[in-house]
Amino acid sequence: MKDLLIAVGQEGREKALSRFLARLLETGAVDGLVVPAEAAPGVITHVLAKDPRLVERSARPLAPVMPLSAAQVVSEVVRTRPSGKVAAVLRPCEGRALVELMKLKQAAPENVVAIGIDCAGTYDPVAYRGAGGNTDGLELREACRVCLNPAPLEDALPGITLGFIGLDDSEGIFVSVHDRLDPAVAAVVDELGLASGEGAGRKRSKAVQALVQERQGAYDAFLNISGISGIEAFARELAACTGCHNCRVACPVCYCKECVFDTDTFEYETGQFLRKAGRKGALKMPSETVLYHLTRMNHMSLSCVGCGQCEQACPADLPLFRLFAMASRRTQEIFGYVPGRSLAEELPFTTFREQELEPR
Amino acid sequence: MGSGEEFEPKIVAFLCNWCTYTGADLAGVSRIQYPPNVRPIRVMCSGSVDPMYILKALLDGADGVLVGGCHPGDCHYVSGNYKARRRLAVLSAILDEFGIDSRRVWFRFISASEGALFAKTVRDMRDALKALGPNPARALWIA
Repeated sequence: MKDLLIAVGQEGREKALSRFLARLLETGAVDGLVVPAEAAPGVITHVLAKDPRLVERSARPLAPVMPLSAAQVVSEVVRTRPSGKVAAVLRPCEGRALVELMKLKQAAPENVVAIGIDCAGTYDPVAYRGAGGNTDGLELREACRVCLNPAPLEDALPGITLGFIGLDDSEGIFVSVHDRLDPAVAAVVDELGLASGEGAGRKRSKAVQALVQERQGAYDAFLNISGISGIEAFARELAACTGCHNCRVACPVCYCKECVFDTDTFEYETGQFLRKAGRKGALKMPSETVLYHLTRMNHMSLSCVGCGQCEQACPADLPLFRLFAMASRRTQEIFGYVPGRSLAEELPFTTFREQELEPR
Repeated sequence: MGSGEEFEPKIVAFLCNWCTYTGADLAGVSRIQYPPNVRPIRVMCSGSVDPMYILKALLDGADGVLVGGCHPGDCHYVSGNYKARRRLAVLSAILDEFGIDSRRVWFRFISASEGALFAKTVRDMRDALKALGPNPARALWIA
């Protein structure tokens, strides 16, 4: 682990970052770069960039919106063993989701250079676009306001961490070079002759710690006010669900090629619907709303990184982030599992201990 | 259930082909009496029981779900019962978090030779579910 510093000049932090990223392409250290870019004022999309000039001009590594988790983008590009080396700019939640996807065999870890970056939180992308990229008067998304991981987990994936929490522009951008960083990329960083970032690193660590501590209270309060007192209260929270399954599409870790809820398993005959409606007096349509959400929690909550993309994608504005946070807090604590912490850490459902979890 | 009738819980049981289902069969051929509250579904392994099946049974009106598998070390597929144990632990945590009593879901190791244990398990579960009362999801149209 080596701590360095990128100086930020007049052009500001984001341009300094973009120039650094462009350098990786220019030198051929990587073959492609996944990074957010601005297509029009307020319109942010991920790109797989080849041209360093385009990166310098249009990359928005600090774009304060996450229309899509970069984990899904990287997974699409490197699903199988990649024939080229791809660097990706990853927010903390995106990096952690990518680790989970790699464990789920949905992205190949070889040849991926992770460029983890501190996150100052994101806004609703539609509101941001509507404001033409102006964030005045916008409120950070709920998931970001209580996020306990504003900084990337060090060394979860081999690469570089770029940090700025607690640092102003005059102090530069903190760079942490992981020991396992790809040698070609490490050489580019060496050539830049960056100054030591030890002081800035210490300052940032303290600021990150303080931020997390401050948010921990908000996070606990957020989950504790939401005690749900029974199946009826839970079902009411979800009753406005229209069954579009956008939450699943937007979820960076929900990965099945064909979800069971898209199969004919749930294409009942009229008589089955009528019998079920008869038992309950009436049947909410589309049906199986609670089953769908509870099943997704059972399948995916161990890997839930709390990015809140489910809620962002929901046209009915269901409190999905909160519900998933409630579930994943409980399920992850059973196994002491932290999604995205380490590639070496096995997914709890793929392993077991002979003696555990008793009495059943 | 009409008024005045005693509540009799409905139990959906997912029983592993190699152990618990055969154990239930042994209870039958041995003429061991057990209450008729249980609806057995034979599955190839307790590890093949997706939590979705259990949830579906609970949301559609079962009062309890029993998952029966082989004893540790005895799984026909080596580790299915251990994986089922993990899945059931996750399911229980989620149920409890959202106010669905996880005591409605039982996971038990019952071997092919344990007909008496199967019968006792059904009796115990029937009694426990009677004490819990009917599953509130049964009549809930939004669930």
